[in-house]
Amino acid sequence: MAAGDNTTTGETLSAALAAKEVEVTCFPEELREECDALRARYETPRAALMPLLWAFQRRYGYVSREMERVIAEELEIPLIWVRETVTFYTMYNQRPVGSHHVQVCGNLSCTLCGARETIRMIEEELGIAVGETTADGRFTLSVVQCLAACEEAPMMQVNDRYYGRLDRQRVREIFGGLE
Amino acid sequence: MPKLTIDGREVEVEQGTTLIEAARRLDIHIPHYCYHRGLSIAGNCRMCLVEVEGAPKMMIACHTQAADGMVVHTDNDKCREFRASILEFILVNHPLDCPVCDQAGECKLQDYYMEHGAAGSRLDEDKVKKRAKAKQIGPNIMLDTERCILCSRCVRFTDEITHTHELGITERADHSEITLADGAWLDNRYAGCVVDICPVGALTDRDFRFKCRVWYLTAVDSICTGCGRGCNIAIHVNRDRPHKAGGARVMRYKPRENPEVNQWWMCDEGRYTYKQIDHDRLTEATVEGRTATVEEALDATGAALRKAGDAVGVLVATTATNEELYLARALFAGALGGHAAYLAPPQGEADDLLILADKAPNTRGAQEILGEQAADPVAWVKEKGVKAVVVVGEAELTGLKAEVDHVAVIATHPGKATEQAHVVLPGSVHAEAEGSFTNLAGRVQRIRVAVPPIGGAVETWRLLMELGDRLGHPFDFAFEDDIFAALADQLAPFAGLSHESLGRRGAPLGSGTTQPAEVA
Repeated sequence: MAAGDNTTTGETLSAALAAKEVEVTCFPEELREECDALRARYETPRAALMPLLWAFQRRYGYVSREMERVIAEELEIPLIWVRETVTFYTMYNQRPVGSHHVQVCGNLSCTLCGARETIRMIEEELGIAVGETTADGRFTLSVVQCLAACEEAPMMQVNDRYYGRLDRQRVREIFGGLE
Repeated sequence: MPKLTIDGREVEVEQGTTLIEAARRLDIHIPHYCYHRGLSIAGNCRMCLVEVEGAPKMMIACHTQAADGMVVHTDNDKCREFRASILEFILVNHPLDCPVCDQAGECKLQDYYMEHGAAGSRLDEDKVKKRAKAKQIGPNIMLDTERCILCSRCVRFTDEITHTHELGITERADHSEITLADGAWLDNRYAGCVVDICPVGALTDRDFRFKCRVWYLTAVDSICTGCGRGCNIAIHVNRDRPHKAGGARVMRYKPRENPEVNQWWMCDEGRYTYKQIDHDRLTEATVEGRTATVEEALDATGAALRKAGDAVGVLVATTATNEELYLARALFAGALGGHAAYLAPPQGEADDLLILADKAPNTRGAQEILGEQAADPVAWVKEKGVKAVVVVGEAELTGLKAEVDHVAVIATHPGKATEQAHVVLPGSVHAEAEGSFTNLAGRVQRIRVAVPPIGGAVETWRLLMELGDRLGHPFDFAFEDDIFAALADQLAPFAGLSHESLGRRGAPLGSGTTQPAEVA
């Protein structure tokens, strides 16, 4: 299973996720102010790329290919630079995800501490495979690259929070405590 | 200026020189993949690691600057061990498909593996499969990401040289791949260069793929005839195996480095002009439309020229070499007392990298040697009272036959000029004769014989000498360089130059005469 599989294009989206798709064909006015502030902060437009991608993802939940184009045009940088950045970082979602985005670290330290087994266990708990979203649209499961919390291995990130030292019981508690 | 020691030899270099370049001064080759002198430094392949005494770790020679007193080892046990390890990493996901890979024979992975690797695989796991295998990414380019080592040369080329940004590296780690931007197509005017700089078989030329194994090819130095830039090239020919590629002789052009002219590049427009060398050629002489021997054709034109006395002229296309231009001038304007002019070169588009609007290789040579341009050839023959005319090269000529008693054309391809000729003589293209061109910037550069004249064709310079014989003005040149010597003797800008002194990179007009220092 490859890191980031969940968020790249592939099978068609479930109804729950398809409903979350946003059409953005020109630069959205609602992000204008934030974008201008970012551009003013950096010497080169390219430097504003990552925070601007974040701004889009915060607003829309993911960064679509159309959004990539809109961002490239806004920053006046080649489209391929945006694509390179979006595909390099597992943190950028390339399509909508469930309300709770479960991102399990599959990198070295976590793997040495049993991440492969942890991932299989979480697949069982959620009833989905890596890259899939539960039918109710609540959970999307991804395997991601190192999240820099090796001391807590094996660990995962759910939306913006880190959870470490995962075992089946702890995972059940965490998932049970989510909305 | 820092003075350093590389492999026990001292060398002094300019401040800022990298170790890989300092080593080059000593003819020490440091293996590398991502480094290319025409591109920015990426430092990603790690193949050029060298040992610098006192440094805590191995240093990449492509990015480490020479410093005074530095002691560098490029080929000791430690370097060789590192190189073998790096190569092992690079080859981890590389397929073993050399037998079906078009790059085989000119592949840096193969070369360095034999030299520095040559270890068995220790990989127990499956190789990571990339997505794009034999994927067309442009009109002339195929991409095979499985073979790619992600050196990023092609990406840097499209970012830094053409500024077209078609390519990038997407995904990360062992899933990284060269990718086209959404909606992009690698069709910029220099796209073929990415094949030249790809050190492995990831980018191949659709035009050349599977036509011929590279070890059957012979490379001959030449000059591209696509425009007045005069890009230095190698003509790759298949001389001895007519059963390959349907008997085609010329397989491809490759750019040849010349910092004064084209650096490392050439445009696609020029790259694929090689096809004209073997395509639709004139291979026999004709007299009044009937097939004739070259002797008969020369006799017919010789007789017509003799009859016209000094009312003779020669019109030379700017595809002719300096040597051919000189013979035309010496015979017609000189010995016969007639007239000589050059034809207007075809014009096209220009850009700000290499491509010039003048689509002929030797317009400057024609200007220097003949001086006069016949902008309107029909008006020119009328004005000069020319009764018999020889046209050398292809030209968009119409209405000439009605104005003169005899038109002879020395040409390589059928065209407007040959249609209205009394006599057609099959001449040579640049790949079939020794000679030289003068590019628009005034650089005189040699062309060499890659293949013999096709079919019944004869070197154009020989045909002009044969005409001289028939008109009682024999030239005593044995070889093309003798013609150049006569040219250099008579025309000041060429003075002091010779085929030998032009070498592989040419020399500017006027550079052959070193002015002696004035004595006070």
